[in-house]
Amino acid sequence: MSTGEEGHMAVAERGTRKRRVGTKNGGKSKKKKLKTRPPSSDRFKLTMKDKKIFQKRARDYNSDEDDEDESTKPPEVTIREKIFSDANMGPNYDEIEDEEGSDPEDNSDGEDHGEIQSGITRFATDGCNAFRTAFKAIMKKTKGDDTLGPVLSAHKHLIAQKLAEEEAEKKAKGQARKAKHLVAEKGHVKPASYLDSHEKILIGVATKGVVKLFNAVNKAQHAQKGLNASRSKDAKVLKKRRKEAFFSELGKTSKTDSKAQNSSNSHEDEAPAWAPLRDNYMLANPKLKDWDKKQETSEGDDFAAMSGDESYED
Amino acid sequence: MARFKNNKKGRVAVKPIVKKNQGNVDHVTGDKIPKSFVFSRMKLPGSVKQLQMDLRKLMLPYTALSLKEKKRNTLRDFLNVSGPMGVTHFLMLSKTASALSLRVARTPQGPTLTFKIHQYSLASDIAQSQLRPRCPQDLFKTPPLIVLSGFGTQELHLKLATIMFQNIFPSIDINTVKLSTCQRLVLLNYNKDTKLIDFRHYSIRLQPVGVSRRIRKFVQNHQVPDLRNLQDVSDFVTKAGYGSESEGDEEAATVTLSSDLGRVNRSSTKSAVKLQEIGPRMTMQLVKVEEGLCSGGIIFSEYENVDEKNAKSNHEEDGDDSEEGEEGDNSEEEGEEDGEDMDEDLED
Repeated sequence: MSTGEEGHMAVAERGTRKRRVGTKNGGKSKKKKLKTRPPSSDRFKLTMKDKKIFQKRARDYNSDEDDEDESTKPPEVTIREKIFSDANMGPNYDEIEDEEGSDPEDNSDGEDHGEIQSGITRFATDGCNAFRTAFKAIMKKTKGDDTLGPVLSAHKHLIAQKLAEEEAEKKAKGQARKAKHLVAEKGHVKPASYLDSHEKILIGVATKGVVKLFNAVNKAQHAQKGLNASRSKDAKVLKKRRKEAFFSELGKTSKTDSKAQNSSNSHEDEAPAWAPLRDNYMLANPKLKDWDKKQETSEGDDFAAMSGDESYED
Repeated sequence: MARFKNNKKGRVAVKPIVKKNQGNVDHVTGDKIPKSFVFSRMKLPGSVKQLQMDLRKLMLPYTALSLKEKKRNTLRDFLNVSGPMGVTHFLMLSKTASALSLRVARTPQGPTLTFKIHQYSLASDIAQSQLRPRCPQDLFKTPPLIVLSGFGTQELHLKLATIMFQNIFPSIDINTVKLSTCQRLVLLNYNKDTKLIDFRHYSIRLQPVGVSRRIRKFVQNHQVPDLRNLQDVSDFVTKAGYGSESEGDEEAATVTLSSDLGRVNRSSTKSAVKLQEIGPRMTMQLVKVEEGLCSGGIIFSEYENVDEKNAKSNHEEDGDDSEEGEEGDNSEEEGEEDGEDMDEDLED
């Protein structure tokens, strides 16, 4: 009895230990054997009948433990993960994991009931299926485009080479673009500061020109103030005054020409002298005006005739 | 017979064009208004394209602002259009790897002046460089004035350039012109030593002289002034405030107006002329003058002259290969120059 007790105790100890620590499958199976053997043979026969119930119980019992067991197993899982990740199993991985999830359990069961052989059959059916799906999923993956292939380490130097090539290409492209841009932007200067000395001189020249023109305008228009060009009486007076102004300008021009620093300005000064004459001539002489018109209309007619001919040819 | 009739009909249909042609004439002075096309017959890089757009704006209002060129358009196409539209001048930009050039041509017969653009700045660059870029609404509604300076030497190609640029904008009749239409100014300044032409574009502004800045601003801005720091309203008028440092020194830049100009500048008061640059800005060199429209005998070529006269200027000659081998027909040159002289006489 004492030995029996001791054995029981040992069993209990082992059981507790196992429950606490979560031993490996081998230990589990040993325990199971111990647990099942001590009872007499008739009892065992009885259990043979209820084998399935026991199995179920055992499975339930183990399934509790499996959560703990998983903590011991991770290395295996990680290895698998690694394999999958190497094979670029990205999107399908979860699915396969789910299928695989039931796998470890079955495996352990199979080992547990090594003598019974039921586990092996389970493995043959279920586990094989999972493996098949996983394998299929891997094979389904199309990675044809990648010239380097899925095994990266084998092509390390190839990658480096390709990267270097790309870099060189990019550099060359960039340089070409830069050169093109330089050619395109040749001569384009962005003024750094608004007024440098040269610009000031230019503005001074321009201002002088404007002032000259405005003064001339003032002088010319001051004379004809209060006179309406549309009235014939005023028009006569205007004409007279402009003529006077013109001749006075003519007298002056010789002096200004001798100065003649700003040809444009002198031109602007002279322009009124010429323009009013021309202006009056055109306005006063309707014949001339008509002549101008006629010429243009005749031109237009020619053009029209030409276009008409063309249209008919078409 | 029927055909003849139809011909007549066609003639009637085209009449509007003739009327348009009359629109080319200034209704006050009766002068013909010059119109221009600014275009390029090649694909330009972005900045040069912008320069082209700036030039178009500069040539406003008598230009085609949104002229569309196609690759297959030849010069003849533009020429054909220019007749009915009354376009008198072409400005053509072209870009090669070595240089950017501007050709200014008179249609339909020429002559053509080719300028090499050494440097240019866009209107946007100029505006960026300024603290307060100025662009009133109707700045581009009137043609600019043109001021040519330093061209007065006796060289004939310069005379030709002068005439060309004077005629590219409508002439001003001093007796009838309104000063309010003088908003812009194009300056061409010829530097005798470097043979470079500075091309600038300014806006003209008139400011009354002798009025304190505060009152001027008050009149201009239509805004209630800030009187917080003042004891009395009279302080606003009497207190000098800080004056612009450039106000005093520009005695030469004042004009007396004959008529009112805007709200601020009254007649018979003194006003200061202020110029502010609105791009584009170009520094260019006259390299070639051709007799016809981008064709014909060469009247003047800068690089030949450099060889002959051994001029003092030290231009680096970026090889314009096209100009080699077009050695002049001297007799034609002289004839052409005489013609130009006569033109100028008429002009003056």
